[in-house]
Amino acid sequence: MRRASIWIFLACLCIPSFALYRGEIYSEDLRIQPLRDGRVSTTFSFITVLEGAVPRNPKALGQLDESQHYALFPLTLGQILREYAITELHLTLNAGKWNYDNWGHPHEAGVGTGAELWAWMGASEVTTVDERWSGLRNALSGLFCASLGSLDSRRTLSPTVAFPLSGSTPTFAPHELRHASLPSESVCTENLTPFLKLLPCKSHAGLAALLNPQKVFDADWHGMGIHVTWKEDTGVELKLTLQAVFNPVRTSAGKRRDWNLQSLFDRSIERSCPVASSSSVTVILPEEKGYQITPENPAHINGLVIYDLSSSSNFTIPSNIAMYWPSEHSFQYPLPPLTPVTPLSVKRTIHGTTQTRGVLSISVTNNSPQEISAGYLEMMPALLTLWMHTLKVEINSQIRSDLLSGLKYHPPSPQSNDRLSPSMLQAVLTIPPKTTLKLSMEVNKAFLKYTEHPPDAMRGWDLPGAVFFPLPQSSHDTSSSYDWERIYTPTLLVDLPTPDFSMPYNVIILSCTLMTLIFGSIFNLLTRKWVVVEIQE
Amino acid sequence: MDRIRGFLMRPRRPGANVARLRRRKQLAAYLHRNLTKLTSALFIIGYAWMLLIPIPLLSRGTYIDENALQPAQVNTYWNWGNVHTADLQLYQLDGIRERNFTSEQRAEFFRTEFSKLGLAASIQNYTFSTSKGTISGNNAYAVMSSPRAAGTEAMVISASWLSTAGHGALNLRGISTVLSLAAFLKDYSLWAKDIIFIISDDYLHGMHAWLNAYHGTIPSNLHTDPLEHTSGVIWTALNIDYSSHSFSHLGVFHEGLNGRLPNQDLINSFRLISHYTGGVPMTVYDHLEPSDAVDRLPEQSVFPSWVPPFIQQSPQLQQYGYRVRNVIRHIGYQARGMCSGVHGLMHQFRIDAITLFAVPADGPHGFHALGKIVESTLRTMNNLLERLHASFFFYILTSPGTFMKIGMFLPSAILVSVAMLFKGLGEWVTAGWVCEMSEASLKGNETEKPSPAKGTWRNRRRPLLSALIVVVATHVLGVLVFNLICSRWFAKYPSFLAPAIFVAVSVIPPILLPLLSTNAPEAAPTSMLLKSSNLCLASTVISIMSLLNFSLAAMLAITMGVPLATSYTSSSTMTTHLRYAGYCMLAWGWLVLVPGEVESAIWNWEVLGVWFAPFICIVYAPLVMQAAIVCLQGS
Repeated sequence: MRRASIWIFLACLCIPSFALYRGEIYSEDLRIQPLRDGRVSTTFSFITVLEGAVPRNPKALGQLDESQHYALFPLTLGQILREYAITELHLTLNAGKWNYDNWGHPHEAGVGTGAELWAWMGASEVTTVDERWSGLRNALSGLFCASLGSLDSRRTLSPTVAFPLSGSTPTFAPHELRHASLPSESVCTENLTPFLKLLPCKSHAGLAALLNPQKVFDADWHGMGIHVTWKEDTGVELKLTLQAVFNPVRTSAGKRRDWNLQSLFDRSIERSCPVASSSSVTVILPEEKGYQITPENPAHINGLVIYDLSSSSNFTIPSNIAMYWPSEHSFQYPLPPLTPVTPLSVKRTIHGTTQTRGVLSISVTNNSPQEISAGYLEMMPALLTLWMHTLKVEINSQIRSDLLSGLKYHPPSPQSNDRLSPSMLQAVLTIPPKTTLKLSMEVNKAFLKYTEHPPDAMRGWDLPGAVFFPLPQSSHDTSSSYDWERIYTPTLLVDLPTPDFSMPYNVIILSCTLMTLIFGSIFNLLTRKWVVVEIQE
Repeated sequence: MDRIRGFLMRPRRPGANVARLRRRKQLAAYLHRNLTKLTSALFIIGYAWMLLIPIPLLSRGTYIDENALQPAQVNTYWNWGNVHTADLQLYQLDGIRERNFTSEQRAEFFRTEFSKLGLAASIQNYTFSTSKGTISGNNAYAVMSSPRAAGTEAMVISASWLSTAGHGALNLRGISTVLSLAAFLKDYSLWAKDIIFIISDDYLHGMHAWLNAYHGTIPSNLHTDPLEHTSGVIWTALNIDYSSHSFSHLGVFHEGLNGRLPNQDLINSFRLISHYTGGVPMTVYDHLEPSDAVDRLPEQSVFPSWVPPFIQQSPQLQQYGYRVRNVIRHIGYQARGMCSGVHGLMHQFRIDAITLFAVPADGPHGFHALGKIVESTLRTMNNLLERLHASFFFYILTSPGTFMKIGMFLPSAILVSVAMLFKGLGEWVTAGWVCEMSEASLKGNETEKPSPAKGTWRNRRRPLLSALIVVVATHVLGVLVFNLICSRWFAKYPSFLAPAIFVAVSVIPPILLPLLSTNAPEAAPTSMLLKSSNLCLASTVISIMSLLNFSLAAMLAITMGVPLATSYTSSSTMTTHLRYAGYCMLAWGWLVLVPGEVESAIWNWEVLGVWFAPFICIVYAPLVMQAAIVCLQGS
């Protein structure tokens, strides 16, 4: 009774605040899609819109900023956005390798392994874009407990074609892009907790209540994203996403692909988030028949089933949405030959066994009956030197240089702090229908100073994945109807020449002795006065 | 600075330099006088050391160096249900054997089995072209992408179709272990590295083709398509060889191609896991320890049957005999650059790998123990944050629990090499001097032998050109012979060509030798200079080889040490010819005596790229031939 009265009191306190900040709209959505390999892809998206808000003009950075009063929008993030005058921000933290061939395109395109951060900022004379980029990195790494601080100039680039502004372009200043990625960043609970804190209901109510770290981090793939965009007609939009690919066949006792919310997350939605304007669970139905879904819902639209969980609807809470295949004893994996789900499948490897050179090879397969033109972007840390003259484009071992166009290459450039920026290779590949295009180039591996090696030197270095992206529509004829988003290739591990760090003193002593012997004898020969000495026998 | 300068510029005693030079001269003279004693001592110590390598005193206990490994610290989940899966797989494989499936059909079957588990599986077709014709086959493999991990690192579990046990034994149980492990391991989310399952065709060449395709280092004589599925960098690998019904011990085979060895941490962790998790004792190769071999068959005993019983029953001698067997087996593999199993192909790609060989026995172990051990070993390998680098790469495993550090065996070969170097330098000094008898002393004492003490020593020129021509010519001859034995003709008619080549290389030097311009009489004779350069060259070869491949260096020290040091020009034609024939036998005799070895060495070179055959033809045999020519030149 007492607790109820407190809740009522709190609710009364909240009601006037909704009236005050009518400019903020919060909505949440969960998309569940059973995949053909028995896995289940889930995408949570939590969207907060600040209606009518405008990103801060960087020219006004020196002046006092307008005061920030938010009810739903997270203040900690808002402060960072205002402090560094960020127009658009995308941060993703992912673990695992997204299997495009079996899982198709993700609902949120940013699935590159590790951490990826990119931001569009207006240029200004008050503080440079790079200064604000550095501040942004450090602020976000504090906010999300991630090693974003190490996304320094050795990893920062500006690939504007592959990562365009997804919202509107503000007119107040010319805008610049900063992009960096850290493939070795691992994602875990310490990143999820601050993520949940940005939500208005935290993980107490609404869809976020399902986010059980024990289950989410046991999934075959999981990743979270923070996307801030500005659209002229709506305002600043903050979209927090969390994707996870569960494997019910692995976790269930009978190796079945049946799933329900309780089995996936080991939690259920007890109550809806009161401030959410809309809250829904969408199940994307598989094409093959034989499944059953509960609770039965008549609203099947285009292969989707939508459950509205918001408090206004008459849907009963708690709910457990379940899908099962009653006629299936245990899940039978589809047998090859399997055609990939996505029209484009990409593989990327580094060949060669020496520690000094190798061959970077990429094979792109077009599975569709139409020709596809794709942008190819390689952002390579200066650990590897790409040799452009060895770049080869082949189809069935025949050189087809005509399929490569618009090649742009920026070699690593020395920065002010004596570090090398990454090299950037950008090209347009035209892949004929139903063929595999192979692209290869030789690389040299850098010889690092011994102080530049990390403590786990014998592990090797992680290289970020390449990105394939659709070309802007203007330069692109309408014949290809394939609508797609960025594709990230898996990351690579490369062995650089590594000294034996396990016995540094032995190595130092041995090499110093050798140096002394060589130097000593040569010095002796050079400085000695040669005389004839008579020896009487 | 001033102090240093002062020290350097300090006044010297006037006689100091003279005294030092005199001391040095005396030392050199002393060494030269006692050179024979010194080199003999070095030879004896070197060879005796080689004999002492197996004694337990020189070995030390193995230990785990990499802290991340944590062997035998996990609970395993492999249970009798999985053993049942393995039994079912074995039943299917038996059917395959009875129906005589072709290589393609087998690979297709394995691919389907992997695909049923939801793994990305594929088949690799390959063809090697060798001088004996083409070899082709089909490998089946599957990649298990680890959940949550980026897939930048990978581990390999493999089984070849044929077993190490030889005699056409099929590795059916090894393959069913791999298939059932694939079904079992994919149900756990704890893998931090991708796991690649490979069922390679035949014994060695299947895996060799797969590894080359995976690393993109396809040699010119291999035709294969790029692999359909790839994963990250492979760090460690286990090859399973289980051909018999059940096993009592798990034997570890570790030698790789060209004398490479895997990091010792892998073997040591496996030993602990095998002992504590599976309850199966580990052995080196399939040699049972004397304590285990009590009720064994006589052919598995440490000693041959003619050894008197009191030696057979002495525990110390049994232990020594056991270690001798291990060391000889190790040297046999390593000196020839051969791998002792399929794992050995991986070392050249920086993959630390071993073969687990189920030592045939009536019991008590089977799939249950093997599955648990492999699971636990994979968990240990899964713990690795870096490549295996902490422990030893140069060692001799004398028994499962003891090994020799490089410092304990390397000096034996080095001492022999030093002895040869001293001998060669001594010969060089001797060649530079000639003792001239004065007319008077010659006339006065015609009956006495002219003694050097009474003559006067004179410097003489040492023109190296003719000796160098001989050296170069012998090595060129070696290259020719090597090309010949790798040719298609040799592969076709080995029984005719091998003796023909042997006769040719033995006859050519005596025929060509008179064409060589001999040194002028006042200069040093060519034979002395040739012997000197020959010994120095051989010594250098041995000491360099000892760092790359100790076993080969030890074999070279044994075969070349004393024979090269004792080559001399004899006055009698008979002995000269006999000696020459002996050296020819030592250099090229293998052509006629061990045709099987020749064939396997050529196959190893052509398919696997083992350097043993070219090394013997181009380096070893010419060096011995130079010693043979030293004998000829006196006559």
